[in-house]
Amino acid sequence: MEKGYRAVTVADIVRRAGIARNTFYENFSSKEDCFLAASEFAVKEALRRVVDAASKVDTWPARVNAGLAAFLHYVATEPALARTCIVEALSAGPAAVERYERSIQAFVPLFRMGRKVSSKGEELPGTLEETIVGGIFWILYQRIIMGQAEQIESLLAELVEFSLTPYLGAEAAKRIAAEVPSTSTAG
Amino acid sequence: MLDLETRERAASPERERIVEALIEIAAERGYAETTIELILDRAGLDRPAFDRHFRGKYDCFLTAWQEINEGCMREMLEAFNSQEEWPDRLRAVACEIVDNLRHDTNRASFAVEVLSAGDAARARRDMTMRVIASLIDAGRNEMDDPESVPHTTAEALAGSAYGQVYAKVVRGEADELPALVPQLMSAAVMPYLGVEAGLAELARGFDPPARYRRDVAKKSSPGKSGGTNVPAEDYPPELARLPPGRHGLPREFVVHNQRERLIAGLAEAIAENGYSGTTIAHITRHAAVSRRTFYEHFSSKDECFVAAYDTVMAELRQRVSAAFEEAGDWPHAVKAGIGAMLEFLAAEPSLARLCMVEALVAGPVVVERYDAAIQSFVPYFQSGREGRPPEVLARLSPTTEEALVGGMVSLISRRIIAGKAEELEELLPDLVEFTLTPYVGSAEAAKLAQEPD
Repeated sequence: MEKGYRAVTVADIVRRAGIARNTFYENFSSKEDCFLAASEFAVKEALRRVVDAASKVDTWPARVNAGLAAFLHYVATEPALARTCIVEALSAGPAAVERYERSIQAFVPLFRMGRKVSSKGEELPGTLEETIVGGIFWILYQRIIMGQAEQIESLLAELVEFSLTPYLGAEAAKRIAAEVPSTSTAG
Repeated sequence: MLDLETRERAASPERERIVEALIEIAAERGYAETTIELILDRAGLDRPAFDRHFRGKYDCFLTAWQEINEGCMREMLEAFNSQEEWPDRLRAVACEIVDNLRHDTNRASFAVEVLSAGDAARARRDMTMRVIASLIDAGRNEMDDPESVPHTTAEALAGSAYGQVYAKVVRGEADELPALVPQLMSAAVMPYLGVEAGLAELARGFDPPARYRRDVAKKSSPGKSGGTNVPAEDYPPELARLPPGRHGLPREFVVHNQRERLIAGLAEAIAENGYSGTTIAHITRHAAVSRRTFYEHFSSKDECFVAAYDTVMAELRQRVSAAFEEAGDWPHAVKAGIGAMLEFLAAEPSLARLCMVEALVAGPVVVERYDAAIQSFVPYFQSGREGRPPEVLARLSPTTEEALVGGMVSLISRRIIAGKAEELEELLPDLVEFTLTPYVGSAEAAKLAQEPD
């Protein structure tokens, strides 16, 4: 996880992604290709865990809480992948920005459901969900950069409050953020 | 040593031409394909000219990036200060940034490309991002319970705004940025002022920046014709009341009492841990006082920092002013003033760091003071216009003095960031030559710079 985009080798990626080296070279022509694959793998895996955790509870706010808990747990245990998808993406030009955008967009629908719960759902700013997901990514990026990946899970309550406030108002958001998510975060 | 000094000389036209050429080429071709040859070809200069100013391509990129960030920071603060109420202040900042990105596409593209240059470029960007986060975080002052918003919120909002703006710039969609402003403002206002206030932002649209920047420039610069017409009220009080020279000041910053011990403790703790990493426990340990004593004097770390900043700047101003007044003519007064400043900062590396570096990341209240402090040194240079022949005055621009102070501060800050505050006094001849040249010409400035004290 100390390595940046330029320093990471294909071997690092295939080990993390659990894909054979040969398979990689048969399918991808460049490191950027490999990174895209690694990034898609990570996003898919993160999304799977988030949906899995969220589906175990009933209401949307509780789902955000449980889903974020699972997400933070995944990032904290896989900082190298997180670094690829988040950290490098905002520093490495057009191709990386596309990766970053795809990562963001993958999580946007989960938050967009909050509009149905909110009394102001129709009026909320159109890019609100991108702002929430992008904000969470940025916070994680800062912690990873500062070598504090292991503290990521302790940010859960603050990030839940941040995510829910526009939909539910600050008070309700704070209340839900204070609840410990009921699903297990073990992955 | 002299060679290094020469390289660092700020704001020479040659150097600016190289930086401008670099920004253009990098915007067109990207970081990897930007070569020194291409830059020089565009600038119409030769290799020795490049070597006089930069150690290589990477150095040149970082220098340009540093300057863009500093310029951006200044513009953001001017925008922030141009309004009274917080959401208006933040909106002015957002509009200012977007307006600049839209109209200076080379700089916008450069801001993307430079990040390929590695961690130093990214760290510089993140410092600017912390300032933006602190401008957002000022929203908590508008709340009944300022502590009710998590501290990560402003950081998250600043970061996601950056991500969205960055993506648009990378895709060449800078024209769509104005439409993004009300969206971003809406999300930024909600946590502090509530959902309704956030929704109200959507209706405001993109307020193009008012012309406050020109007003500021006009206010702080004298008219071109007379040369002696710096209004008296624009002088800092130190200059206006002509204090008697101060003699026998101890070289060290004097610690008289608990309050000053805490301030000195804060400075040491910050030198060790940076502003954000400093806790009240750090401060009390360095000051060797109890936690209770801390709270008898200050309600928070921020308050202690503001007090520290004010104390240090007052001391610095007093020393500069005294040295300036004691010297004979204006060029020697400038030399004495700069000398006093460097002497103080070199003798007190922790305080130097506190007021020149950490002040930029310590939150909007301090950042405003920082800006005002920079401005307060402008009149010392402006008084150099007095009695100059018309052809010299015609060469000076209304913002010459601000540029001189900015260049000087930038050089000093770089030394401090590099952990070389103790060597600051070595900068004196270069800074004297650099600041006097516009007024007395380069030959005379060089001569004055080399004169023994």
